[in-house]
Amino acid sequence: MAELLQTESRRCLYFFLYDGSKVKGEGDATREGICYFYPEETPLDRQELLCGQLAGVSRCVSELSFSPVRVLRLRRNKFAICMKDDFLWALGCSADVPTVSICQLLDQLIDLFCFYNGSVRQSYQLHSSEALAARWARYLSYLQSGSSQLHHVFSCVRTIDSTNVDPLLLLKAALILQACQRCPLVSAGCILFRGRVVSTQMFPELTMKVMVHESETYTKALRPGAPTTSSPFGGTVSSTTVFLTPAELQYLRSAPVDRDFSSHPAPHRGTPTRTRLSRTLSDMPSSESDRSDPGSFSPHLSDSSVFSPGPSQAAADPPQFSNGKQEADEEEAALDESHYLSFTNGDGSALEERLNGDGDAAGGTTFEQPHVDNEEADRGGAPPLPLPPPPPPHSDPDDTPLIPMTLYLHRVKGLVLALLAEPHFLSNSAAMEEVYHSSLASLNGLEAHLRTVSPGVPGPPGPYMFAHFDCVQSTMTTNLSGGAGGAAERPFVRATSLLHSHFCNTETLQEAIIRSAAAAVYGTRSPAQETFFQQSGSLRNSGIPNHQDSAFTLPGKARHRLLKHGVNLL
Amino acid sequence: MKCLLIASESAEVLFHWTDPEFQQNIQEQYGASQEEGQGLPAFEDSISTLFAPIIISCSTMVDRLGDNYTSFSTENNHIYVLHQFDECLYIAVNGDGEEGEDDLRRKIYVMKKMIEVLFGMVTLSSNLLRKELRPQDTEQRARLWKHLQSLLETYSHLRENDQSFLVEAVERLIHPTLCEQSIEFLERRLVQQLNSSVERAREEVLHAFILIHTKLLAFYSSRNASTLTTSDLLTLIIMAQNMYPSNIDQDDPGPEDVESTSGSGPESFYTPEPSPTERGSSSSGGLCSKLRPDGRNMAEDSLRTLEVPPPDPSTPRRVFLEVSLKEGLYPMMPHSMYCLPLWPGITLVLLTKIPTSAVAMSVYKFLEAFAKLEKRLGEGQEGSAATRGQPSIHDVRSKLDKFIKALGPRLIHFICVDRSTGQMIAPSLNISEHTTSELGKGPVAQFIKSKVWNLVSATRRYLQKGYSTVTLRDGDFYFCYFLWFENETGFKLEAGDLPILPDDSAPIGMLAWDYYRKLLRYYSKNHQGEVVKCYELLTVHLGVIPTEIILQHCRQLASKLWEPSRNPLL
Repeated sequence: MAELLQTESRRCLYFFLYDGSKVKGEGDATREGICYFYPEETPLDRQELLCGQLAGVSRCVSELSFSPVRVLRLRRNKFAICMKDDFLWALGCSADVPTVSICQLLDQLIDLFCFYNGSVRQSYQLHSSEALAARWARYLSYLQSGSSQLHHVFSCVRTIDSTNVDPLLLLKAALILQACQRCPLVSAGCILFRGRVVSTQMFPELTMKVMVHESETYTKALRPGAPTTSSPFGGTVSSTTVFLTPAELQYLRSAPVDRDFSSHPAPHRGTPTRTRLSRTLSDMPSSESDRSDPGSFSPHLSDSSVFSPGPSQAAADPPQFSNGKQEADEEEAALDESHYLSFTNGDGSALEERLNGDGDAAGGTTFEQPHVDNEEADRGGAPPLPLPPPPPPHSDPDDTPLIPMTLYLHRVKGLVLALLAEPHFLSNSAAMEEVYHSSLASLNGLEAHLRTVSPGVPGPPGPYMFAHFDCVQSTMTTNLSGGAGGAAERPFVRATSLLHSHFCNTETLQEAIIRSAAAAVYGTRSPAQETFFQQSGSLRNSGIPNHQDSAFTLPGKARHRLLKHGVNLL
Repeated sequence: MKCLLIASESAEVLFHWTDPEFQQNIQEQYGASQEEGQGLPAFEDSISTLFAPIIISCSTMVDRLGDNYTSFSTENNHIYVLHQFDECLYIAVNGDGEEGEDDLRRKIYVMKKMIEVLFGMVTLSSNLLRKELRPQDTEQRARLWKHLQSLLETYSHLRENDQSFLVEAVERLIHPTLCEQSIEFLERRLVQQLNSSVERAREEVLHAFILIHTKLLAFYSSRNASTLTTSDLLTLIIMAQNMYPSNIDQDDPGPEDVESTSGSGPESFYTPEPSPTERGSSSSGGLCSKLRPDGRNMAEDSLRTLEVPPPDPSTPRRVFLEVSLKEGLYPMMPHSMYCLPLWPGITLVLLTKIPTSAVAMSVYKFLEAFAKLEKRLGEGQEGSAATRGQPSIHDVRSKLDKFIKALGPRLIHFICVDRSTGQMIAPSLNISEHTTSELGKGPVAQFIKSKVWNLVSATRRYLQKGYSTVTLRDGDFYFCYFLWFENETGFKLEAGDLPILPDDSAPIGMLAWDYYRKLLRYYSKNHQGEVVKCYELLTVHLGVIPTEIILQHCRQLASKLWEPSRNPLL
């Protein structure tokens, strides 16, 4: 029974990465090829059995069909497969998860790894497989965390519940991002609050990847014993190298960005860029509440009082992440290519001095490379910041080269500004300062506002259930609790999962009604969305065609009921 | 790119069928190493070597994991479906997108069904079946495999082109007078004479039926015979079609047509042939002279063609059919099947109990009696229809046309199935250039045909998961599917919970595995003492019609089609 429950709550039952190049000869043991196996407690002989059989069969089938295997199904489980070079990834789920969803999950997982580590082959050349195993485990756990049954069907970006948030706040978040983007080195950004997206400029897949790092640092910060902050200036800046595919980069760069001012490298005035960056925000009509909040959207960001913390506060609240890595094990820390930045040498005093000693906060602040125990620090140390080693040219010409970029994170308590920037953004302290200072006050304000928004309390189960999936933004709106009421929701989730598979496989299918004894579910889709609706209550009928049958009133009811959830099916 | 393979656990090939593309693919993989002109055994070796790793992995998975593969798919959309029946592993492959996983699984089950009908109890022992399917003598093996291959091709062709094999229910020709006359002939003349014949010793005719192409014109069962199940009847129709393929598709001979026609060449050795003494007799001459008033003795021609490879005339086909007697259910009782072409496209099938070799001789004596029937059939046909040998189809179609027109012009197609009797009614769907159906001809009809085929497969997927009502808006069409239960008086019974089956369950249908018989048994548990009937209705309407009107149409159809008083067809 325990196993059954576990099976249901976990999206992934097995995951492994198998390196066929290590098992070529007759005498080579299968275990040599196992790079990572989840669940890690699986006995080795079982690991070998699964890896050996699945890899063997996949190779045989791919030779017969001149194409890599994509899905292997067993009676009880199904595996999404990815074969590339000599590597084989397999992700196993229970048989009722739609095949499209599990394939998507596997791709996400591999993409995540490559995003933070670069090429897989190279990572395994540079680092021990134990260290990389920890990473696979982390990514896998992130992708599985907090996912309901419905999340097994749709991979979606978790967003804040916009129905509870003043739309003006969302607009402000968007403007902060736009302001940051005026720095020519910044490609795109997103703002997250407590692990959920407030606003993003990136496409959903990229936002999801960025969120992993955010959640990771946030989790670290929340660990017992980790320093807590209460100051409005508890913000900490960190960065890490990430790797984008040429297609992703091209997509980012093709986005229209107004760089009118940042495109002129020579400023005409003293600090024109900074003032200009802030202008966007200050131009905004601010409400009374904004003004009354000391940490919020100040019309004059250059007013140092806004973000000069009191000395005692700063001293009491060392930046969160400069020391956050202490808890990580040494191996992990050694390979972690993140650059944690702070204004301090570790204790926050330098920042404090500079901020206090200089009226113009931006003017005197310099960014220093913290003395973190990573290998890059050993190599260079002094500014300009050393960049991670460029990836060596790939031996496999088919393998698309990944392009390193910088992921810059500025945290204000539960709020995080994440920016994708050119690698030399880190070495350009002027640019960093501009970005930092132009956004700091606004971030503080936004955080203070979002903090006061009470999380939406899930209401009692209504007379209907729905799930609305926005295919463009990869977001989902639903009134399903996903928790305790799971049993009542299961027929709906099952129908949704079947209909979603059908929609994915049949391009011309626009809407469907399906009815079992337990539920009648209506599904409709357009290129931009998929919506599923079920009316609660018993359906007594004979199943013979009858136009007065309640099942056929579902489309009308869905259109009507979902309007108040912001879902327009007209 | 199609293949079906049966292998033993020790990776020995027990049967294989490949289309030319697959064969070429296999040969290319062996490339230069394959000497030309080695023929079948060499190809058999190649295929066995290529599939061996998959076959061996299957047994490993069963032994060590207690699970087994059900399917593989590759990135270029090749699909492999695997199913293990005892110690025989069936693998069906498709690489051209023409068949889905469900189709392949169905093909495997149908193959198994045909093997059961051909080999009977032997199939219960893997060891014996292995010997039967793979005779030591290569010539014998080649002949057997060729026979099975051609049966498989005939089935595939029917499944792709014939609605009654799409929904797996028998289509009856509705021509009351002709039907009555035929039954009378079967009962009074043929069966009585055969049964009283001394020559045939103890052989007794249990069932006799006349097929026009795949459609049933008349069916006679002797009083003490058990009911012939739909599953067995459909299989017998495949066998009859395999021996005497209809020329109904000759307008558009695809490669498969050619295959199946040529493949049936060696089959004719199973055909009862006139004995030399009788051939010259007056009775035989009488037969020929009475065949066609216009002098185009097609039947004579075909008889002469059959003479060319002189087979053993007294060899009927041994078939194993389900018999349910008071004493119990016998799933595989031996019968002899005599299949006689009466006219191109018209076949008489006799099933006798306890075969003796003498029967074929005596059967031929009654060919004269058949001539009378042929004459009657000939009288009933007119003009151009005569060349196609489908005398009543024209008539039926025009009636059906009128019927459909009465129902409203927006109904594009429907199929109605009585699952209790395994019979179906549907307008014909001819797609070839020279025949027109209700849908017209050419690409539009072809498009709708493919939509109907897809609809059936989609609704089966939902039925498998417990959904008995499905409506789909797909492109310009609106599809409906309803399954419901009635009692004998036509009272609509409430839709109950339908069983939810796993993805790899036996295909939903009546040919290989009678899903509906199981469904009726399952449903009847809550309706003790009542005779429960099960109906299905599939409709295709134009999507612009308001749903309510579509549903009203469906209701009309459902109530009218099976009501003899209101249905002009019954």
